[in-house]
Amino acid sequence: MESASVPLPHGAGGHAADSHHHGPPEANQSSRIDRQTLGILLFIVSEVMLFGAFFASYFFLRVVVNPTAWPPKPFELPVGVAGMNTAILVSSSFTIHYALEAIRKGNKQGMKLGLVLTWLLGLTFLFVQINEYVHIGFSARLDSFGSIFYSLTGLHGAHVFAGLMLLTFATIRAFRGHFDKDAEKHLGVEVPGIYWHFVDIMWIIVFATVYIL
Amino acid sequence: MVAAFQRPGWYRAALGAVIAAALGFGLVVVLREISGLSAFQSEQTGYPQVIVPLIMAPFGFLLGIGCFDYWLRWAFGLPTIPEDHSSHGAHSWKDYFKVNTDHKVIGIQYICTTFVFFFIGGLAAMLIRAELAQPGTQIVGAGTFNSLFSVHAALMIFLFVIPVFAGIANYVLPLMIGAPDMAFPRLNALSFWMLPIAGLLFLGSFLAPGGAFDAGWTGYAPLSTGAPLGQSFFNLGVQFAGASSIATALNFLVTIITMRAPGMTFWRMPLLVWANLSTSLLVVAATPFIAGAQFMVFFDRILHTNFFQFGAGGDVISYQHIFWFYSHPAVYIMILPGFGIISEVISTHARKPIFGYRLMALALIGIIVLSYSVWAHHMFVAGMFSWLRVPMMLTTLLIAVPTGIKIFSWLGTLYFGKIHTKSTAMLFALAFIVTFTIGGISGVMLGMVPFDIHVSDTYFIVAHIHFVLFGGSVFTIFAGIYHWFPKMTGRMYDEKLGRVHFWGTLIGTWGTFIPMHWIGMDGMPRRVADYAAQFGNWNLLISCFAFMLGAVQLVFLYNMIVSWRFGPKAEANPWRANSIEWLVSSPPPIYNFDEIPRVVGGPYEFGIPGAQHAIMAGEGAEVPTGEPSVVGT
Repeated sequence: MESASVPLPHGAGGHAADSHHHGPPEANQSSRIDRQTLGILLFIVSEVMLFGAFFASYFFLRVVVNPTAWPPKPFELPVGVAGMNTAILVSSSFTIHYALEAIRKGNKQGMKLGLVLTWLLGLTFLFVQINEYVHIGFSARLDSFGSIFYSLTGLHGAHVFAGLMLLTFATIRAFRGHFDKDAEKHLGVEVPGIYWHFVDIMWIIVFATVYIL
Repeated sequence: MVAAFQRPGWYRAALGAVIAAALGFGLVVVLREISGLSAFQSEQTGYPQVIVPLIMAPFGFLLGIGCFDYWLRWAFGLPTIPEDHSSHGAHSWKDYFKVNTDHKVIGIQYICTTFVFFFIGGLAAMLIRAELAQPGTQIVGAGTFNSLFSVHAALMIFLFVIPVFAGIANYVLPLMIGAPDMAFPRLNALSFWMLPIAGLLFLGSFLAPGGAFDAGWTGYAPLSTGAPLGQSFFNLGVQFAGASSIATALNFLVTIITMRAPGMTFWRMPLLVWANLSTSLLVVAATPFIAGAQFMVFFDRILHTNFFQFGAGGDVISYQHIFWFYSHPAVYIMILPGFGIISEVISTHARKPIFGYRLMALALIGIIVLSYSVWAHHMFVAGMFSWLRVPMMLTTLLIAVPTGIKIFSWLGTLYFGKIHTKSTAMLFALAFIVTFTIGGISGVMLGMVPFDIHVSDTYFIVAHIHFVLFGGSVFTIFAGIYHWFPKMTGRMYDEKLGRVHFWGTLIGTWGTFIPMHWIGMDGMPRRVADYAAQFGNWNLLISCFAFMLGAVQLVFLYNMIVSWRFGPKAEANPWRANSIEWLVSSPPPIYNFDEIPRVVGGPYEFGIPGAQHAIMAGEGAEVPTGEPSVVGT
């Protein structure tokens, strides 16, 4: 996530504090992809593998151990509520896309609207998720099922939270007028947006595995 | 005085750590009081009043030392200050103790920090050998012994071998590809500062009630889920070390892909760059698995979840699968950068182009692909699915092929080369080929299921791991340190002391670890403080060699410190190498280059008249464009 917020280190041709030198030379750009985008994509690879570890555990606990009831009786997962929550999160992918398309055309109001909507949808998702935890009736200590249920959904929830932080930063900067039409001037919207899409897609996989499968 | 606490630095770091720890402590006490629980809980696996501050204090430290200052400004929408480079480069030794964004400073910070942990881990090894010199228990009890070998391995793996390679590459890699710095200099600084935190957590576990973690560096569940508090320190330390290496790997990948100098095509990159490219791919994709495994153990310990609790539907073997899915690729994370160093050293000191340059690079890619398919060969006796054994055996044997390609290519490079050993680096590189081959062959032996069953958990395993990790990785680290010492410090080291260090290390390594193969085949179990009297003589001999091996490292330490301070000034290119880092002064200028160099040929074209790798600013203005380079393309 940190990589998302690193501005170009050698931008703006700043003045060196060092008296005997004029500052670093501009690095050669040897690839069409910019650093921030590549950085967030690699970070997402690493995140996918973290989820992979927990999915591996999920299938060990469910398939290899093969318990008689999954989830253990008498508990049931609230598929309806989670399905509605899925719809909320998926629609937030469209709003962040709208924000990005808006700033690409130079429409700053549209970008602000898109960012705020996304932020609110993300927050709603988290709120519903926590509400679900409160009313679900079992804890992480309910056999291995409870452990992996809370780990997978909780790990995802943590990522929604991280994504929300990135969106918060982007929104603050959007309202302070930092973003503009040029590609390198709205990386601060684009990079968190990529991360947000990842969070969405990951939720669809988590939802499909934990609630439906 | 107040100002000192406002500036990024050690005062603010100490303050931040204390405040964060106090916050964590207060949080636990208040929440537990509200929930009607006793504020202090000292069950083996509990101690929330220690764990929560332990999680929070590192963040307070990082915040205080100044890792996040710039990002926080950015996050809260303040105008980004024009880059002032005030935290770039070191002007006095004090700058090495600050957050610095210069890859050269960070490289040296990495190397010095990791060597501190190397010596601490080595001290643990000396204590282990002292205890094992005689049958029975003399020096330390069985519990302390378990802690010692666990801490030894954890320090050597997570705090020495993996990060020291990151340190060496941090220093030379941007120079090699003609980049002014790494792609994300502040992330680079953060990666470094997470490292001492991991080390302090590992060492701090000695202070925990119940002693340091003692489930081995593998921390198998359910041994680890029921272990005393120290195990939680291990779980957390691994998270910090892992986050550090993921961030560095990501940084290397972005740097290599987007910041190469003009003309530096993939097929003109030095093999060290290739090696770090492939290692970083492994780190980014595999390290999250150990994070996952340690999180699960941590949850089982602290939250009493049931990932590995047999009675509650947990699966014990799943820990080993998830753990080794990282930790087998990790052995390649610990050797591939070394392969890169050896390629540089051998080609330079044999004055010959690398034999089969492209195949060398492709072999690296082959190794990383295969390394994901061999993890369960660590589990032949664990009671896993029996159908998985033979496929894992086959892939394990297969991975010897790309490794063999590399060995034979080095031999091909040496063949008819003008080999000279005026540098200790070359001695270590030559010794590495032999020692690593022995370790590699015992690895193939271990890949065979029947033999592996015979020697599982014996000293044969200890011998194998040390032949590849000490005789392999650590030899390459020494080769790298000697090779780039003139570049990093601007001074020459003492070649005579280097030779003493080399021969002592070589003889010490062989004397220590060769006999371990034999006693292992005879059935001496590893990770046990006491052993049958029949192994007494061999163990005494092993301990003597081990002490010599330990003592001779002090020669290295002395040589490095004294030469850094008083050694004769080094030229820009003492080894007459071709790659770009040797074309700048020693040590390099603060921003590496005045102008980005242009690359016009392969990096290893020794002995080819008129061949050139790169053209620096101000020289050779007229370059024939499109000149085909003879080798390495």
